[in-house]
Amino acid sequence: MGHSDGEHELEDDGLSADDSSWSDGGWSEDDDEESLSFEGSGSGSDSDEAAAAEESDSSEDEVAPRNTVGDVPLEWYKDEEHIGYDIDGRKIKKRDREGRIEAYLKNADDAKNWRKIYDEYNDEEVQITKEEAKIISRLLKGKTPHANVDPYPDYVDWFEYEDKGHPLSSAPEPKRRFVPSKWEQKKVVKLVRAIRNGWIKLDKPKEESNLYLLWGDETDTADNKRQGLSYIPAPKPNLPGHEESYNPSVEYIPTQEEIDSYQLMYEEDRPKFIPKRFESLRSVPAYEKALREGFDRCLDLYLCPRTRKKRINIDPESLKPKLPSKKDLRPYPKTCYLEFKGHTSPVTSISVETTGQWLASGSRDGTIRVWEVETGRCLKVWNVGGDVRHIAWNPSPDRPILAAIVGHDLLLINAEVGCEEVQMRAKELLKICEMAPQDDTDGKKPAVRWMKHEKFDGITLLHHKAVSNVDWHFKGDYFTTVVPSGDTRAVLLHQLTKKHSHHPFRKLPGLPVAATFHPSQKMFFVATKKFVRVYDLQKAQLVKKLESGLREISSISIHPGGDNVIVGSKDGKLCWFDTDLSTRPYKTLKIHSKDITNVTFHRKYPLFASSSEDCTAYVCHGMVYSDLNQNPLIVPLEILRGHSSSDGRGVLDCKFHPKQPWLFTAGADSVIRLYCD
Amino acid sequence: MPKHYRPAGKKKEGNAAKYITRTKAVNYLQVSLAIFRKLCILKGVFPRQPKKKVEGNHKTYYHMKDIAFIAHDPLIEKFRQIKVHRKKVKKAIAKKNRDLADRLLNRPPTYKLDKLVLERYPTFVDALRDLDDCLTMVHLFAALPAVDGERVEVKRIHNCRRLSHEWQAYISRTHSLRKTFISVKGIYYQAEVQGQKITWLTPHALQQVLTDDVDFNVMLSFLEFYETLLGFVNFKLYHSINVNYPPILDPRLEALAAELYALCRYMATGSGRVIGNSESGGAIKEKEDENNKASSKADESELRLAQLQHQLPANEPGALMHLVEESTAVDTDDDETKECKSLFKNLKFYLSREVPRESLLFIIPAFGGTVSWEGEGAPFNEVDEDITHQIVDRPTQSHVFLSREYVQPQWVFDCVNARIILPTEGYLVGRVPPPHLSPFVDNDAEGYVPEYAETIKRLQAAARNEILPLPGDEDLDNSLVAAMMDRTESNEAAEKKKKLEMLEKQYHDELKMEIDGVTFSNLSNKKADKSPDTMDKDDTKSYHEEDEKIQAEKDSADISTALMSRKKLGLYKAIEIGKERKRDKVELLKKRKKNAESSASAKRR
Repeated sequence: MGHSDGEHELEDDGLSADDSSWSDGGWSEDDDEESLSFEGSGSGSDSDEAAAAEESDSSEDEVAPRNTVGDVPLEWYKDEEHIGYDIDGRKIKKRDREGRIEAYLKNADDAKNWRKIYDEYNDEEVQITKEEAKIISRLLKGKTPHANVDPYPDYVDWFEYEDKGHPLSSAPEPKRRFVPSKWEQKKVVKLVRAIRNGWIKLDKPKEESNLYLLWGDETDTADNKRQGLSYIPAPKPNLPGHEESYNPSVEYIPTQEEIDSYQLMYEEDRPKFIPKRFESLRSVPAYEKALREGFDRCLDLYLCPRTRKKRINIDPESLKPKLPSKKDLRPYPKTCYLEFKGHTSPVTSISVETTGQWLASGSRDGTIRVWEVETGRCLKVWNVGGDVRHIAWNPSPDRPILAAIVGHDLLLINAEVGCEEVQMRAKELLKICEMAPQDDTDGKKPAVRWMKHEKFDGITLLHHKAVSNVDWHFKGDYFTTVVPSGDTRAVLLHQLTKKHSHHPFRKLPGLPVAATFHPSQKMFFVATKKFVRVYDLQKAQLVKKLESGLREISSISIHPGGDNVIVGSKDGKLCWFDTDLSTRPYKTLKIHSKDITNVTFHRKYPLFASSSEDCTAYVCHGMVYSDLNQNPLIVPLEILRGHSSSDGRGVLDCKFHPKQPWLFTAGADSVIRLYCD
Repeated sequence: MPKHYRPAGKKKEGNAAKYITRTKAVNYLQVSLAIFRKLCILKGVFPRQPKKKVEGNHKTYYHMKDIAFIAHDPLIEKFRQIKVHRKKVKKAIAKKNRDLADRLLNRPPTYKLDKLVLERYPTFVDALRDLDDCLTMVHLFAALPAVDGERVEVKRIHNCRRLSHEWQAYISRTHSLRKTFISVKGIYYQAEVQGQKITWLTPHALQQVLTDDVDFNVMLSFLEFYETLLGFVNFKLYHSINVNYPPILDPRLEALAAELYALCRYMATGSGRVIGNSESGGAIKEKEDENNKASSKADESELRLAQLQHQLPANEPGALMHLVEESTAVDTDDDETKECKSLFKNLKFYLSREVPRESLLFIIPAFGGTVSWEGEGAPFNEVDEDITHQIVDRPTQSHVFLSREYVQPQWVFDCVNARIILPTEGYLVGRVPPPHLSPFVDNDAEGYVPEYAETIKRLQAAARNEILPLPGDEDLDNSLVAAMMDRTESNEAAEKKKKLEMLEKQYHDELKMEIDGVTFSNLSNKKADKSPDTMDKDDTKSYHEEDEKIQAEKDSADISTALMSRKKLGLYKAIEIGKERKRDKVELLKKRKKNAESSASAKRR
């Protein structure tokens, strides 16, 4: 209690002190007022005013206004001589207006001039006192006009009474102030019950370690414990290599140039970590990306889809198919044995005589040459004057006739090899009596005209358009020519003995590329750009359509058995068709990087070859079994090189020797090569 | 009508039914994305790659079973409770009901993760298999600054520190540390526990800076699970060696050095154990004494110290049995553990102030050494006469004891990786130590063996030879000399052998090439046969033939690829590219090595 008393005392002291100061202030203020009024009266010029001021009690209206016009706009008196009326009703004259010079002089003379204010209403000048100026400045600041006024004085309770705390009510205290509240009780009961029942717990829960032996019994089978999907463990982070060492060997530190070159790389290719060398362990700084890398790992763990991937760790050699040893597949051509030189331009086509003794070749230099195979001697040269595009020997041994495409026509000439009798017969065959154009019925130019070639004693077959291909029937009487742009007359069949030609197809879908006879049956193969069509000549109907799936077929060859066909394409692929098996390729070999120019089967040995513009020829083993259940065996054997490229072209033709496992290739470097075993 | 159109009301099948996108999963579970993320992290649910992405290619897919797995977990309910609790607190504070708010804050809903750990890792080995990330993370957080007001609670950092020390103590105690590697990122350790190789990374003993580019919520969610997991793993491991968990720590050491306390205590016990094994009889007696003391409870604090020292529950009735078990356990240790245990046997280390103490205090006892450090609470001080190696990392050493060797810390790490005591010449004070090589790289598979790796290999071979003749010889001095001789001889012999092997290999290569030539480039051979003098005529011809030979070899390789299927061919080519890349890498290393050597020799001149 003593403490509170002390407080009271202190308060009292404060109060009294305040009082005194307040009273002092009051006195001083009064003094001021007096002086103010005095000065004000002094300043006033009229004695009436002074009297009025003295009369008034109120401090506010010390000086009664001289003018009595009231609160009217002063502009009403603008043009009058007076500005109003005084209290007695007399006009108050306006003063003379001060000139500027006068005003200036006044200003210069009187230092207190700035305190003077012109009272428009009364038409007079009033000088403001120092105190008034102070009051104005205080008012401008938003303070009370007088400095000594305390705006918030402490309330002084002058009277003592009993219930000082409740000054407004003297009603007796209600009962509820003295009995426990029902609602509070209810609340308390609720809380108590909650505490008792443990719904509310006031103490902080104890922190206990809740570790125990989690994996107690290892004996029970854990395999079926895990439920749900199979768990894919996250791959472990890569283990650090030598380059991550704080002190790696010199060879792991990239040179400055290499580091600079990293800037040129794509961002994802750039190495994430650049090895650096520190001289001692104490100079190794903290790794600033530690948190970042930890975070990245976290992201990987919960955001990356996980799948099981089989990592193949096999020897690449085991991927290669098992092939029989090459030695078992001999003989096959693999080394160059002879070169036939003599042509001056690319050799476009070659053909071997049935006996295998002679080789005919046609070149772009406009010559047809016949060579002796054994010696490489050039037996004969015909200067036919025009590109020789294709050349073919008559397969019949007693008809030594060459069919060559010169320019855009076909030329049949006597090869002049063999004995006299055979040559005589060939001459007979090539004799032709000039006759009138054969079937000029439909007004069109005839597809073919048989003409006598005077120079070489041969026959020219004048075609309506350029011929690209010629092939003999195995009996040597019929032959076929292909005119790619010939529409319905694109494929033509000719008979040598009767000197007769006809075009068997009314309609031929696609652009024919090559046509050839079946080696033993009356079948006919026409290769268009995408398909190979097989026709039965006797029934005159389509038997099969082989779908190569190639972009553009360039050549075709029929296996001597007749059931297998190989097709070369301009995208370097070679398709093997087993016509008994399917109309789709049995095997497609992507062996050449450039166009395949020709494919060919050997007549006796299980060999086939392809020549290509990439200056190589492939020799493959292609065994066809008589057992229909066994698929043909294809083994690539040898890549024959030797020709050099000229004008972007490589090997233009390849042909097998009819009896020996020898391969002739004709190159764009105007050389014919013979490859032997 | 599009192919994927499904009539209304028809049930989904296949991938559309099996997989659910993330947004749909979140909606399905009726939780926020943050909670879903946390649930995924805790439950170990990860997105999967459906065969057919029905909703689009750029979306994340979860397996429906995984989502159902989350939906059935009590944890999801707990998270909802936490959300409600947070709302209640917020409301109480808003209504200025401080009392209620405090009461609520006192008891937030808590959850335990023990069932989750067991669910994710049904067997202990599973848990060990996945421990790598856990250890790396816990060690990373243990290195973060324990400062109030940072984004990570101080309590958790201390917990991480404790857990990491406990783990290291176990590894050190059981001598199961296998490899160590100081990288720029930190120090890698590899231990083998129950046949599982566990690798973890500890940051360098410098404080990490908390960066802004990481989402701490994600990391802390992971850490929450990892802390629990490592706690249980430690419990199990301590249980397996019959030590109480959690261990009671020596308050004196705890007060001395906060980051040291647990580890140094364990180290002390580790070294004590080695001594105890060597003089097991005495140790047993000590145990018995301690047993008596325990019964009397006279000097409890001392007992506790002793208990700590030996980590064996001395007051357990079966303490003696225990020791026996321990000794048998020693016998059942595999060879590698034995080797590791005895690497630093009889060596005494002293660590200077500036070396990474924590790491070395962990490694040296793990390999059977005794270690002390500069500072309070150390078992012995610098003037100890028995110290064999002092590890320093300063430019010069002013006061040198002649009885010991002063080496840089890298020596310890290299010794551990090589499993032999390496010669200290390269590691002396003030020198640049030899390159520190990663023990995790299989040099032979990589195709490039660094120079120092070969040196170490030679030293290892020498060490093996040295040990072998020892038991046969009676005279110790003689045997030592012989060993030395042996070593030099074996080195020489090895070199000779190498040379011979080289020659032989070269010969074989040539022979092989010859055979190849015969089979594949008959053409050139035939030509050579036809005109043998043309070969000698000009070099260009031989070059040409060389080319042809190479061409022929390439052809023979190419020729069988013609018949490969497209799939196999692609695989084959990919393998070839990989091989090529590897070869390039090795070539680059060799080139750099050569350059460095040439520049070094130029400097010497």
